[in-house]
Amino acid sequence: MQNLELKDFSSVTPEQISLPATAGPIDRGLAEVTEHSSPLPSHVRKKGIISTNLLKWIAKRTLSSILGLFVISMLVFVATQALPSDPARVILGPEASEEATQILRHQLGLDQSLVTQYLHWIKPALVGDFGISIDSKMPVVNLIAGKVKNTLILLGLTLLVLIPAAFTIGIYLALHKDALLDRLAISFLIFVKAVPSFAIAYGLVMLLSTLVFNIFPAVSLIQANQSVWSQLQFMVLPMLTLVLSSLPYLVRLIRGSLIEVLQSDFIISAHLRGLSRTQIIWKYAIPNAVIPAIQAIALISSVLLGGALVVEVVFAYPGIGSALNAAVDIRDIPVIQAVVVFLASGVMVINLLADVVTVLLTPKLRTA
Amino acid sequence: MSSELSRRGFLIRGAAIGGSLLLGGGLLSGCRDEQASTAQGVSTQSSTPKYGGRLRMGIIDGSKAGDLDAHKPTTASAIIRGFALYSKLWEWSEHMTPDLALAEEVEVNDDATLWTIRLKKDLEFHNGKTITADDLIFSTRRLSDPELASPYLGYVKWIDRDNLVKLDDRTVQIPIRGGTGLLSLPDAWVNFGGIVPVDYHPVTNPVGAGPFKLKEFVPGQRSVFTRFANFYKSGQPYPDELEIIDFKDEYARISALLSGQIDMANGVAPEQVTALNRNQNIQVITNQTHGFQSIDLNLSVEPFKDDRVRQAFRLMIDRQEVIDRALAGQGRVANDIYSPLDPTFNSAIPQRPYDPEQARSLIKQAGYEGLTVELTVGPGLSAVAGGSPVAQVFAAQAKKAGVNIKINQVDAATFGGPKRADWQLSCNSKLGGSFLHTASTVDSFLSSANKTHFADERFDTLFRQAISTKDLEKRTPLVHEAQQIQHDKGGLIIWSFVNTLDLASQSVGGLKPERSHFPTWRFDKLWLNQSV
Repeated sequence: MQNLELKDFSSVTPEQISLPATAGPIDRGLAEVTEHSSPLPSHVRKKGIISTNLLKWIAKRTLSSILGLFVISMLVFVATQALPSDPARVILGPEASEEATQILRHQLGLDQSLVTQYLHWIKPALVGDFGISIDSKMPVVNLIAGKVKNTLILLGLTLLVLIPAAFTIGIYLALHKDALLDRLAISFLIFVKAVPSFAIAYGLVMLLSTLVFNIFPAVSLIQANQSVWSQLQFMVLPMLTLVLSSLPYLVRLIRGSLIEVLQSDFIISAHLRGLSRTQIIWKYAIPNAVIPAIQAIALISSVLLGGALVVEVVFAYPGIGSALNAAVDIRDIPVIQAVVVFLASGVMVINLLADVVTVLLTPKLRTA
Repeated sequence: MSSELSRRGFLIRGAAIGGSLLLGGGLLSGCRDEQASTAQGVSTQSSTPKYGGRLRMGIIDGSKAGDLDAHKPTTASAIIRGFALYSKLWEWSEHMTPDLALAEEVEVNDDATLWTIRLKKDLEFHNGKTITADDLIFSTRRLSDPELASPYLGYVKWIDRDNLVKLDDRTVQIPIRGGTGLLSLPDAWVNFGGIVPVDYHPVTNPVGAGPFKLKEFVPGQRSVFTRFANFYKSGQPYPDELEIIDFKDEYARISALLSGQIDMANGVAPEQVTALNRNQNIQVITNQTHGFQSIDLNLSVEPFKDDRVRQAFRLMIDRQEVIDRALAGQGRVANDIYSPLDPTFNSAIPQRPYDPEQARSLIKQAGYEGLTVELTVGPGLSAVAGGSPVAQVFAAQAKKAGVNIKINQVDAATFGGPKRADWQLSCNSKLGGSFLHTASTVDSFLSSANKTHFADERFDTLFRQAISTKDLEKRTPLVHEAQQIQHDKGGLIIWSFVNTLDLASQSVGGLKPERSHFPTWRFDKLWLNQSV
């Protein structure tokens, strides 16, 4: 069992993987390989210098992110001015007279210069006051706080299901490359990926809510004043839709990257050195294959943060995506600004986390 | 746009599939057999109102969430919430005429320049305070205040707000200034004229005298109300609570109704209803309103400065076909003039025929052979605001008369934005109402949204006289002549009066078809049969 040929990987079975390993002789060459590919966290702890460098790097990244936020808030502010029509006209509708629109424009301060308007916005925003919604006259923070919470909960639940599912399926398929199940699964995943997510959503509604079974509520009418945990039934269908629409991408990426790692030189040499198959797969192959998946998860999270719009529309799920969409539609500038700042910060945090994890998992970067 | 269209196609097919699974097929056969206002599957329950429960209504209203302001509701959802929160001097009858509500008596002089309004006795606000003349004066001054920046100001701007007279504790005199009467005051007022107390504030103190008091308002999401025990119609309303839930998507709203998460849905797109017509659990209420759908010609630009081109456009539209294809049959052919329920309506004007040949020859006479025009449409839900299906059907028909129509689809903000009155050709829709009120919102000199740029001296004179003439017999010939002018020279192609469709579960009692748009908004009359 120690000298498995590469081609055997395609036909390896779970029983074979779990065979107890008998360690072979490890010479200097393999030690080098493991040094550069093992994700042992002890390395980080061992070298104090690394964590200081890492902290400095994180601080730098955070600082540039905050500067980025200012730039984004300015760009978005300018962009809202470029949209046809203006908030006063949109709110009052086509029937309003020009006089009424002028009065509202003046009341909202829209007749002031762009710089003045931006300063009026940024000063209170720095201390967490994002103004009043032009549409509903409510403080923006109150308006979007619940929606931010709903979005984050949905994102969390989705990742909680998506990540284990994608890893299990991806790893299993990679280890059974070209088997019948693998080929069927890949075709199925490509099919699911090709189906637009609103179709998945409506399909789930028909299957689980209205036509076939009546298990879950068709729309997510979340009560703002009750705890989320008492309303988990509303989360199931939106979560399933998001999981199904992101799963193909992630599974195929994990499968592909694991297959690639399994074919790389250091794995071959690990075999030649007589390491057990279990050890090779779990200690060396998978940790290396994970790195692209981390960036992919970051990408999916960033997209889901602001782009779960389809789910929010189909299930009437009160999240931040539809709030932004509606705000842009009606030029509700204070709401647009607040949501964009939130989304931009979210994306920056996600990317920072992903990069930190990647660095920790990549010895070359970690020790640089 | 293509993704939106394919999505729409999917929704329609999805609904049809859903329907055939539910109902065992035979869906598309019976689209046009409902010529009368009908209520299918209307509750066979006893018609005795029952108390208790939470009545849940799903509404759908585009991107605006709206607020709670009694006097400037700028969205349909805000108007619907207003029906729960506020009572007015008048309320809409089933025929969409103003009936007395909080007002006990309303007198108007012959030329409609002086209104005397007396409130009913012992009326109460949600906070227990008695409604007095001071509150009526405050409400009148607020809704006619230019600083309110209300889109409806135009209809009430002739109220002489600085000279309101309190005659006694319940009676107020409202003079009209500007040398013209304002006979359409009740029609205008009934939409946005909630009576509120002098310490009213739309955000911090949204108190009214409607059937329900506010409990919770989450903009764009839901609003919850509790029963107002001292509502002026004693014994009403019936449910303990009312919940109005905002949806963004029609299919989601229907799914919520089918799975029992809401009890009612108003103004549902006809293609969705087709699939539900035979569902035993759902009441379908079909209201033959006099709300209309129109294609508006901009008379101030070429080619519509030429009367022959206007006539050609009116002749090249096959009205019944547009109704069948764009409204799923839920409309009645109209004759380019509005307000058929108004007693002054001129029904003697013959219906314009469909005549593409005549249209083609008129275009040729005018020297516009090979004419191309641009038709601008908003994103409207098909049940309410035309939108692209109407445009596409009309464009196909225009080809038969040799006219090329380019469709310009824009978002709501652009459609109603600064260029709103500049579109060469555009779709529109309006709620039903009296002739005078509709004219003041659409194409008279009072309108601040006259997309057609229709301006006719004789029409203006007639309108001015009519709005200052209380006597029906004297007013009727004035309106008849005004409508003849609109029919001959106006810029509106009013091709259909629209049926609005409401859905409700069998558990909702008190619903019946009306000529108005809103049997489902009558929160004081509806109840829940909880045992269903």
